[in-house]
Amino acid sequence: MSTGTATVRVELFGVPQLLTGRRQVEVPGRTLREVAGALAREFPALAGSVVDPATGWINGGYLFVVDGRFTRDPSCPVGPESSVLLVSAQAGGAS
Amino acid sequence: MNAVHGRYLHIDLSSGTARAYPLSEDVFARLIGGTGLASYLLYRFCPPGADPLGPENPLVFASSPFIGTGITTASKIAVAAKSPQTGMIGDSLSSSYLALALKRTSYDALVITGQAPGWTVLAVDDGEIRLLPGSDLLGLDPAATAGAVRAELGSGFRVAAIGVAGERGVRYASISNDGRLAGRTGTGAVMGSKRLKALAVRGTQRLPAVADPRGVVRAARELAARSLGPGTAKYRELGTAANLAFFSRLGVLPTRNFQAGTFEAAEAISGERLFLEHRTDKHGCAACTIGCEHHYRTRDAGEAVEVRLEYESLFALGSLCGVSDPNAVLRAAALCDRYGMDAISTGSTIAWAMECVERGVRLPGRPEEWPRFGDAEGLLRTIEAIGERRGLGDLLAEGSRRAAEITGQGSEAWAMHVKGLELPGYDPRKLKAMALGFAVSTRGACHNRSSAYEVDFSDQLDPQAEALAWARAAASSEDRAAVLDSLTVCKFLRHCFSDFFAEAADLFERVTGLPMSADELRLAGERINTVKKLFNIRQGWTRGDDTLPSRLLSGEAGGLTAAELDRLIQAYYRVRGWDEQGQVPPERLRDLGLADLLADGRMMREYA
Repeated sequence: MSTGTATVRVELFGVPQLLTGRRQVEVPGRTLREVAGALAREFPALAGSVVDPATGWINGGYLFVVDGRFTRDPSCPVGPESSVLLVSAQAGGAS
Repeated sequence: MNAVHGRYLHIDLSSGTARAYPLSEDVFARLIGGTGLASYLLYRFCPPGADPLGPENPLVFASSPFIGTGITTASKIAVAAKSPQTGMIGDSLSSSYLALALKRTSYDALVITGQAPGWTVLAVDDGEIRLLPGSDLLGLDPAATAGAVRAELGSGFRVAAIGVAGERGVRYASISNDGRLAGRTGTGAVMGSKRLKALAVRGTQRLPAVADPRGVVRAARELAARSLGPGTAKYRELGTAANLAFFSRLGVLPTRNFQAGTFEAAEAISGERLFLEHRTDKHGCAACTIGCEHHYRTRDAGEAVEVRLEYESLFALGSLCGVSDPNAVLRAAALCDRYGMDAISTGSTIAWAMECVERGVRLPGRPEEWPRFGDAEGLLRTIEAIGERRGLGDLLAEGSRRAAEITGQGSEAWAMHVKGLELPGYDPRKLKAMALGFAVSTRGACHNRSSAYEVDFSDQLDPQAEALAWARAAASSEDRAAVLDSLTVCKFLRHCFSDFFAEAADLFERVTGLPMSADELRLAGERINTVKKLFNIRQGWTRGDDTLPSRLLSGEAGGLTAAELDRLIQAYYRVRGWDEQGQVPPERLRDLGLADLLADGRMMREYA
């Protein structure tokens, strides 16, 4: 962790939760891009299916919820007080 | 045109006769097929004021140009009738081999009217129909019924059947085929009212050719490959049950009859927990590459039950009733399947009764048998009572709206429905687009005819955006859903297109040979929704029907007020080109190309 980078608490739902075996993790990051990268580094099971190793950003099937707002903006700032959720992008039924 | 037969079969159960009628290319060009075709035929055949459980209410089964083309997921059959829950359009889709069998009969749709003299199995064997005695099947669940019918007629038949709930007129009874359900709006009760225990279809005819065989194969392969990408990852890996814990965390998980949006025991019945402790297997529907159907098994001391479970059943039989025992929820879902009942309406109507008990409202039957929030045994006991229309179950079989009207004592205030159809598992107090979608949907509160929650679960709109922006989003969501339902393609594919309307239009053109642009296909979606709206208007819809239960309009905790919802609805009407009362002006019908297609003079003309 680099000096001055805050730790962000991330709540995991669905596949990310199953892959890590954790409902909540703490990773360093000042933006969502940094958080995504840290998630892939610290929890290698997420690399590939959740975080694209080539871009360091979450795959299309996922998005973040930051303080109640849905976002896929990698520059979205986050901090220790932020509520950050990593969730699947789809909801709903088929018929 | 290609990929359709251009005719439907009208079967009158009262006389035991059948007759074929043409379907013009115009109908498919404007309304596509599937739900669009079923809605059109319903509009044509159902007279104003028809009793939904009377012989005049048509039960329509429709296929689409895409069925049998190899396009992934496109093996859905569209069912439509006037709903015994809402008195308005009841339409539902079910993935099944029945869709393919129907298309192989050389008909694009079946329209079933009348009432059989006794309990009947209707066999459609290519172009021939037979009415067989069905009374021996009474009391059987849908799967056993289908097994018995196929044992007698042959395994080449595909069967749609009702359970005991449909036999006994539970207003939210479903139609089951191949383990899948045409679940919502009570089409199973309509089938039961016709004394039709099962429909068996065998088709051996050649499928109609597509216009561009190589192009369709290539496009179908590409779509199948994309169906295994990130756009469907959640459905493949965890299924829709994954919604539950997340929704609770967001505060949008309907809990204890919408008295809360967070369930304290959500983790116990979460999709993640079910996956780890109960999941056994997963399956795909007919012609599907996604495979979203997750099966779960009970893990308690009782007799083991294995059942397919979706989020909607999970919330309705779990948090909505305050039940936190996953084994009980699985058993409840299995009971709904066995009786042949829509799990959303079942759970919601029981939750209404639970709140009645909580508030001291007197119900029929013995108080010790009344269900209470969190009471797993009471939930299971009440589902059985509903399915058999016994005791309190006889009242609850009417659905929450009618049950509240009969019971009175202020209980209408917590009957959580729109137009008589119980709400699915999205608390609209925090979901503005979905709130509007529920309020204006033609089939009542529905997340499938309006997937407007996608706007709420995204950064598409600022929460402070003007009403027109929300209205455009809700209308657009409805139009896309109508196109998907009419192509009979699964909505889980919707994120597999980079430009849905353009790619779907190209596919439609390659399949049918009819020219279709993205804008024309979008317009077809609006046209189909307008046909449904016109059906409702003819059956007595009024402006007051487009609303939400008062509980959801208190404005508490940042939720909508009645005035805010009214502004959204007015904006939606403007987007649609309707007047302030939600009526469709004649010029709008002309613009949509519906004025001539739906002229009342053409209604039922051929067989009048």
